[in-house]
Amino acid sequence: MATVEELCEAFADWRARSNDNPRLIKMVKGWDRVVHFATTDTAQGFTMRVQDQALSELVVGHEDQPDVIVTGSSEDFCDMFWGDLNPSEKYMSGEITLAGSQQDVMRIDAISMVAFLDH
Amino acid sequence: MTDVSRPGTPGTPGTPGTPGTPMPSGPPPSGAALRRAMGQRTVVTTSTGLAFAALEYLAAAGLVTYVAGDAAWIPILVAGLLALLAYGFFGELNGMYPTAAAVRLYMKRAMDDRIALTITFTYMTTIVLVIASDAFIVGSALAHAFGEPGWVASLWIVGLLSIAVLSNLRGITVAGLLQDAATTVVVLATLVIAVVALVRSGHPLHTPFTPLHGHHATDLVEAVALGVFLYSAFEWVTTSAEEVRRPEFIHRGMAMAVGILAVVCALATIAMSHTLTHHQLTSAYPQLYLGIAAVGHTGLWVMAGVTAVTALNTFNGGFITASRFIYGTAREGSLPRALARLNDRAVPWVPVVVLGVTSLVVALLVAVSHGWQVLVAVGAALEAMIYAVAAFCAVRLRATQPDAARPFRVRALGVVGPLGMVLFGALAVIAAVSVNNHFNVAPALIIAAGGAVSAYYVLRVLPRVRAKEEARRAATPRRRPARGGVT
Repeated sequence: MATVEELCEAFADWRARSNDNPRLIKMVKGWDRVVHFATTDTAQGFTMRVQDQALSELVVGHEDQPDVIVTGSSEDFCDMFWGDLNPSEKYMSGEITLAGSQQDVMRIDAISMVAFLDH
Repeated sequence: MTDVSRPGTPGTPGTPGTPGTPMPSGPPPSGAALRRAMGQRTVVTTSTGLAFAALEYLAAAGLVTYVAGDAAWIPILVAGLLALLAYGFFGELNGMYPTAAAVRLYMKRAMDDRIALTITFTYMTTIVLVIASDAFIVGSALAHAFGEPGWVASLWIVGLLSIAVLSNLRGITVAGLLQDAATTVVVLATLVIAVVALVRSGHPLHTPFTPLHGHHATDLVEAVALGVFLYSAFEWVTTSAEEVRRPEFIHRGMAMAVGILAVVCALATIAMSHTLTHHQLTSAYPQLYLGIAAVGHTGLWVMAGVTAVTALNTFNGGFITASRFIYGTAREGSLPRALARLNDRAVPWVPVVVLGVTSLVVALLVAVSHGWQVLVAVGAALEAMIYAVAAFCAVRLRATQPDAARPFRVRALGVVGPLGMVLFGALAVIAAVSVNNHFNVAPALIIAAGGAVSAYYVLRVLPRVRAKEEARRAATPRRRPARGGVT
């Protein structure tokens, strides 16, 4: 199980890579959304916002009404934010679940993929 | 069938990481409702709209050749009851796996993954067939309505598919409200035109209760096999399971869609059989002649417009469903990585282009060969096949995961499951060797070819694709720092 600190550290890295990625900045143009992350093993909630083509800091707890809800284990989230895990694979095996429109779900996956394309 | 879901009751979360464990069901664990979520009405119109492609009119008209026309409602009703059986299987499976990736998940867990992938890839060709046939039918209908020569239909096809591909690449999708309106227009216009055509025909139905009048019993069975196709794709709405306000909307919506389709298709088929000539029934646009029979030249334009609107739903749903599935499968590592390339609008552009080009080739082939009835038979057989597979998965998962949470359960699955497998399996075989009430193995050969290509890919190519992906990942250093500060 990953701690809140580990998750926040991983997210900070993900956020920096995403916000520095010119392609991703283009990809989230006009896509202002509230994303909730919910961990199944530690029963914690986190909120991320995408606003003005940038990812916000990760807020501990669920805030506002979400456009997308991503549910998975804290370890998977940690690995995903570090770019060590392909979330699509976990999604296709049912270990990460999503709620939201197909277009929004695609954007979340796009962020996770494009942020690490140079990797 | 039993609906045991309770609105507002939290689902039982599964244990992530444990193979074979069903996904969490019920409201999302965050406890918050989505800002934008699909309501019941949109689920119903989506399910109905996906099934109500332009090909529906041709399949309905084609059904008249198998039974005494005025009694066409009988095989349509029987097919509707069978569709309800399939709805039960999809409802239970979707309840266990409320995700766009459900078909991958339940098949992977109910059978060997290689078989599951082969079936899934073969089934996906249905989407190409439906997109291609809609492009052909809409193109032919518009060319006819504008009084243009037949070859102009090919230009319409190229134009329609180009628009569909370009709007998909730009990330343009039909919003829920527009989808509601489009499906409502299609359904109501078809209903009104059918009723008016029947009333204005001026003579009563000849054989409303004798479907075998002038036909054999086997014709009725073939008519039912074709009738199943009238409902095909109603289950694609399960890919929207992640965006509904309440999980039970999906299976309720599917049931309502089957009811709506039964009424509209039965009335349209009876009206066509009652008012159209054999030549008109076997044309590529019987719905236009139905419009003329109802309200003259105005009816032709009404039905031409309605036909064009059906394409809106088909192109929107078909392209999104298929391209996102291909993208997801490529990201999972079961298709080449090139298929997961995204454009700047986060659209998987390679699958969209591949789908567009493949559909264009198939549509032009149909336009040249006039073999749309073969396409209908292929679609009917594939749809019956996937219903049989869904029955198998539901039965198998009941045995392997008896305690899994099932918000929706099929009652007496031990009986109706095997019954569904046998019935749909038999209908798939019948549909695959029958075209326009004649023995014809062309559909079976097309399906066999598709299956063979899928199987070759899964057995020969996929292991190499996966090995390459494994090697790529092994060569990628892990970025996450090790616990205790050691990297």
